[in-house]
Amino acid sequence: MKLKLKLLRIDTILPIKLFGMVMLLFMTTATVSAQKTSTNERTITGIIIAEGKPVAEANITLQGTKTGVMTGEDGTFTFPKKLKAGDILVFSYLGYETQKVTIMSDTSYIKLEFTVDMIEMIGALDDNTPYKSKRKN
Amino acid sequence: MLYKFILTFFLFVFLLRINAQANDFNTINFKKADSIAKVYRGETLHNLPQLSYNLTYSLKTEAEQFRAIYKWVCENIANDYNLYKKNDYKRQRFKNNSVKFKAWNNEFRRQLFHKLLKKKRTICTGYAYLVRELSRLADIECEIVQGFGRVSTTDLDKLDIPNHSWNAVKLNNKWYLCDPTWASGIPNPKSNRFEFKYNDGFFLARPELFAINHFPVDSKWWLLDKDIPTFEAFLASPVLYGNAYKNLNTIITSKVIHHDIKKGDSISFEFELKNIVRKEAIKLLIDSGNNAWERKPTSVTSVNNKFTIKQRFVKTGFYDVHIYIGDDLIATYTVKVKKT
Repeated sequence: MKLKLKLLRIDTILPIKLFGMVMLLFMTTATVSAQKTSTNERTITGIIIAEGKPVAEANITLQGTKTGVMTGEDGTFTFPKKLKAGDILVFSYLGYETQKVTIMSDTSYIKLEFTVDMIEMIGALDDNTPYKSKRKN
Repeated sequence: MLYKFILTFFLFVFLLRINAQANDFNTINFKKADSIAKVYRGETLHNLPQLSYNLTYSLKTEAEQFRAIYKWVCENIANDYNLYKKNDYKRQRFKNNSVKFKAWNNEFRRQLFHKLLKKKRTICTGYAYLVRELSRLADIECEIVQGFGRVSTTDLDKLDIPNHSWNAVKLNNKWYLCDPTWASGIPNPKSNRFEFKYNDGFFLARPELFAINHFPVDSKWWLLDKDIPTFEAFLASPVLYGNAYKNLNTIITSKVIHHDIKKGDSISFEFELKNIVRKEAIKLLIDSGNNAWERKPTSVTSVNNKFTIKQRFVKTGFYDVHIYIGDDLIATYTVKVKKT
């Protein structure tokens, strides 16, 4: 009988102990993770230039979101949301090649140079006018 | 039990993918994508990432996302006829002077992007460029295709340098062709001013039909396994109109514009239509140079959606034969009828 009681006690205590340990581990990890995020998130600033001049009104967007900012007249920007390592910023302006920059653990200032999209501009319109053969007479 | 379930699930997904490829996008309803494009009508081009996000974020499939982008570009960007004429003139003028040709291209590129940004007016490459950029911002693979485009008024003698741009887009791992410029509208025949008139036929068009009036500089963009035309064959193709893309899957015969026949003989054309139509809807407009008259073809026969049109000529002469389905002008052929 005593033996049975003892066994029962072990059966009940062990899960409680295990549950406690898991909870403790979970809470510790969560705290560590939260601390890590808050210390690693930072404000990103920078400048965009093209052909030696600053580019005004260029777009900088956090990939996959609407969050973004435009460069000022002097080509500089301050990203409105704090970013962490692994976030990707998309830099774009009509006529220049779109570029993506991945935020590293030590990124705080980005100097980006746009390259001109060297596409040849051509264009023919569609026309619904019936075709007319060139006739000699 | 679990093993069986997983196996069945993967088999189901696999079959679904094969099915999607075979039917392509006939089963997808683009209504939602089209209405999203309408919601953002009038948006500026100052923030392309945001525009791309707005057009695509609530759509689940790549095809729908691309559709919203494509439709928005077609319905919001106007074709600038003056820009086109100016560029055409300069490119012809400098085509034998590589330094001036390059300098003009660089100068024109600046002008064009400025006009696109401020006025939302452009020429072909501007359309193709916007479709590519907005697609790439939505992580959809898309390319600009440079090449030669032929319409009814194209001067074939001057068609020696590329004059047109369109797009290739990769959806579900398969490449497709689109022509946003020609889909957006046409110049009003009276005023010569551009008018928006969306033509859905140029969206994910059949490569066989596309090849009749689009000749890509880079041969990988034919997207054809066989029957790739030479440039000479391309110049000798029948004249194809925008409305052909609405009505046809492809032209089976003839892929040559001109035919010499004898008096009393017939000429025949075979088309694969998108939808079955009444035979009476097929009409011809025959132009002899002095007179033009509308008539029903000598015979129209059909097997499913394949239609064969025959026309017999009893008088000698040189004829432009315009083929209509309903009110839509589809194609033009020329026929020389000789005595013997």
